[in-house]
Amino acid sequence: MFKKPTLTTTLIVIVGFLTLCPVVMLLLGSFSQDFVSFGQFTVSKYVEAYTDPDFAAILWNTFVFTGGSALLATLLALFLAYVNTRTDLPFKFIFKIISIIPMMIPHILFSVSWVLLLNPSNGILNKLFIDLFGLQSAWFNIYSLPGMILVEGLLDLPIAYLIIAPAMSAFDVSLEESSKVCGASNLRTLFKVTLPVLRPAILASAILVIVRSLASFAVPSVIGMPGRIYVLSTHIYRNVSSGFAADFGKAAAIGMSALAASITLIYVYRYLTAESSKFVTISSRGFKPTLIKLKNARYPLFVVVGFLSFILILLPVLVLFYTSMLPYSMVPSAKAFSMMSWDNWVGVLRDPISLLSLKNSLFLGVVGATLGTVLSIFVSYVIVKVRSTASGLLESLSFLSFSFPGIVIGVGFMWFFVRTPLYGTITALLIGYIATYLPYGIRPISSAFVQIHSHLEESSRVCGASPFYTMRRIVIPLLIPGIVSGWILMASMFLRELTLSVVLSRPGTEVLAVQILHFAEDGLWGELSALGIIMIGISSSLVIAAALIGNKLTRMEVVNN
Amino acid sequence: MEIRIRGLSRYYYSEGKQIKALDNVDLTIPANKIFTLLGPSGCGKTTLLRCIVGLEVPDSGEIYIGDELVWSSEKKIFVPPENRGLGMVFQTYAIWPHMNVFDNVAYPLQTSKTSQAEIREKVAKALHFVQLDGYENRPATKLSGGQQQRVALARALVAEPKVILFDEPLSNLDAKLREETRKELRSFLSELQITAVYVTHDRIEALALSDLIAVMRAGKIVELGDPKKIYFNSDDRFVADFIGRANLIKGKIAKHQGEHAVFTSEIGSLVALNSQNIAVGEEAMLCVRPEFIRLAPEQVAEGHNLFSGKMESLIFIGEAYEGEIRVGETLLTTTIDPTADIVEGDTITISFDPDHCFLLSV
Repeated sequence: MFKKPTLTTTLIVIVGFLTLCPVVMLLLGSFSQDFVSFGQFTVSKYVEAYTDPDFAAILWNTFVFTGGSALLATLLALFLAYVNTRTDLPFKFIFKIISIIPMMIPHILFSVSWVLLLNPSNGILNKLFIDLFGLQSAWFNIYSLPGMILVEGLLDLPIAYLIIAPAMSAFDVSLEESSKVCGASNLRTLFKVTLPVLRPAILASAILVIVRSLASFAVPSVIGMPGRIYVLSTHIYRNVSSGFAADFGKAAAIGMSALAASITLIYVYRYLTAESSKFVTISSRGFKPTLIKLKNARYPLFVVVGFLSFILILLPVLVLFYTSMLPYSMVPSAKAFSMMSWDNWVGVLRDPISLLSLKNSLFLGVVGATLGTVLSIFVSYVIVKVRSTASGLLESLSFLSFSFPGIVIGVGFMWFFVRTPLYGTITALLIGYIATYLPYGIRPISSAFVQIHSHLEESSRVCGASPFYTMRRIVIPLLIPGIVSGWILMASMFLRELTLSVVLSRPGTEVLAVQILHFAEDGLWGELSALGIIMIGISSSLVIAAALIGNKLTRMEVVNN
Repeated sequence: MEIRIRGLSRYYYSEGKQIKALDNVDLTIPANKIFTLLGPSGCGKTTLLRCIVGLEVPDSGEIYIGDELVWSSEKKIFVPPENRGLGMVFQTYAIWPHMNVFDNVAYPLQTSKTSQAEIREKVAKALHFVQLDGYENRPATKLSGGQQQRVALARALVAEPKVILFDEPLSNLDAKLREETRKELRSFLSELQITAVYVTHDRIEALALSDLIAVMRAGKIVELGDPKKIYFNSDDRFVADFIGRANLIKGKIAKHQGEHAVFTSEIGSLVALNSQNIAVGEEAMLCVRPEFIRLAPEQVAEGHNLFSGKMESLIFIGEAYEGEIRVGETLLTTTIDPTADIVEGDTITISFDPDHCFLLSV
């Protein structure tokens, strides 16, 4: 079908360029004075970046923010996973939903909805509490480190849950039972047996949340910056966004430490997940743990879980929709409802920059996902079917970008694009997007390739089918679900992309998330909410389609076992 | 249809070393027989099968299917698998998960220009043959292992191929189902009168199914014969050992006696089949299967192949005792009637039937 060695080499060159170019340019850029004097070695940017008197505070904020988010997300995930796998809680389908919502609501909109609820001057909840209890000042100021941790922790909860829940359900209950037979109490069993056995999964989840919150830009920019709380990502952003004084050299020098931290953490994470697969005893007897009967606690506990899913799923959408209908922020009341109108929606749909950003994001979503999928098909083919040293290299290259913080990659790409005619074009964003989100396309497509055992093709040939006929009737139909879900995943990531775009987007190449950030910076909450609801609408229909197709895919995999 | 293979070789390269998966194989597979390629894993049996089908390209040699030359390294002929007109059942069954049973079975007919009505008729006939009537609209993924296997067989048969090939088709079934399916397969194939080439590493499967067995080792065919010949009177020490449990005793040929020979061994002198006609004075190896070592009534003192030994161990396994008897320095394994009245430590007399023990050249 293909000349295999050439195909592998070509792909290594393409993927290697996409993943390594921003890193190399970041490194070179961090040793340069500015764009003009690129290549003239200087360490002045490092000196400048790391002797900044604010830097210690920024590091401390970053440390508290990432650590706090990891703690919150992991504790909540442990609670939810335990309740789901080990108790007879009603309506368990909720857990399935919790695990896929982060895909539906873009992080920036989730953060904005919390600002609308809890900002100190006119947050809906704050005002409500002031009215209800006669408080002197706001009940909770979201523009604070605890506020940032709360929102980031909730945003990363699904990721933590996806790591902890499988470990919890694979847990061999006889380990607990034997502890109880030995005379240990329930509590002692929990602390001496259950939690230690789950330790690798718990640590892995915490580390992944740290990596994600280190790379997070939505929460630090929407919640942190108004409260003057800077972390690494917003500190980098501050250095590249301040108009004429943008300092990409200093941004690169700061970025290097974020990149190094992130790569180190991902290595620890890989090690831990390899370790945890050794650790968790999957009992082959296939017996289910006896569910703990919650009895009277059944419904109270369900209320807790239901409340969590409410603030994760419904609340942001409700708040945004409510705000989009009002001229200014106010507590729900008869007066508020009487003032509702579609003015903000009309305003947004008439605003040329909002329309441009919608058009750009749709273009990036459709064209970018299509190109990314085509590349993913070839890469997956080589990874799964060719199997050589070179294809192993390709595999590690293509999953490398998982550990790169988006904003740092953006700075690295900026150093590259500024030297090409691509600077400030939509193509620059397209290349950056594909480079950063390639793993999202490769995953589903390569698992579809894995599904096609070579016997399925060979038996078609023996049945009298030519290679072309085999391709048409066997290979393509089996690949299509994987391709479609890869495409949709990439499209929905591209549609909401923020962290890379805030660096690469220039006047004329605005995208949805960046436009929403600008609305937030200008305090135009009504317009923001209207545009946000449009964004959620597009991306959740994509995600629902992906989930449906994913279901079909897993049903088909049964036959191969 | 007959398959002729001449000088077929296939090499692999692994870590700089050349491995001969097929080493100059010459073989004629007769028409309308069930022909089995038997051997341990890595002996080249699957490679040979895949070369016949055309899924693998040999390095040298020739393959004829009937009168058609489908592969020749010299004449640079390679007929691709889709034009060889064969049927094959894969080890994994290779049932296409995105199609229902009907589409799976109809596939070989759809690749050629066959009318819809004829396709329906032939698929129904094939499904009836494998006893899957009424399963047409079942999704392929909703079938049990045994049913998938039968769909694979129906698909291989539906286009009425000249030859049908099987690559370890029973190895994915559990023990009980495997036995049933083996019997079914035997009756299907004898009913069809078709050339079948069957690859397996399971000796019982080979003995039970085949008209002819070719035992392979390290890329070569070491022995070819019908199941009884291979089991009772193999020409090769490796084959004798591989096809069933065997006691092998070293010794020398003392004299010829018609078909038999007198053999002097470490347990004494005995008479055995000498089909290979090993010359007097040559070193040889006696092969006797456990079930042919019989307990002799105690009063018999003299006669052919009688030895006295001690029952070293005796293990009850249900249908028999598994025993070890020490004769001099040699330990012989036997199977003994479970009702026999003996215990460990007894001194007993055993006899070998001269027609059921045979001599192998060393």
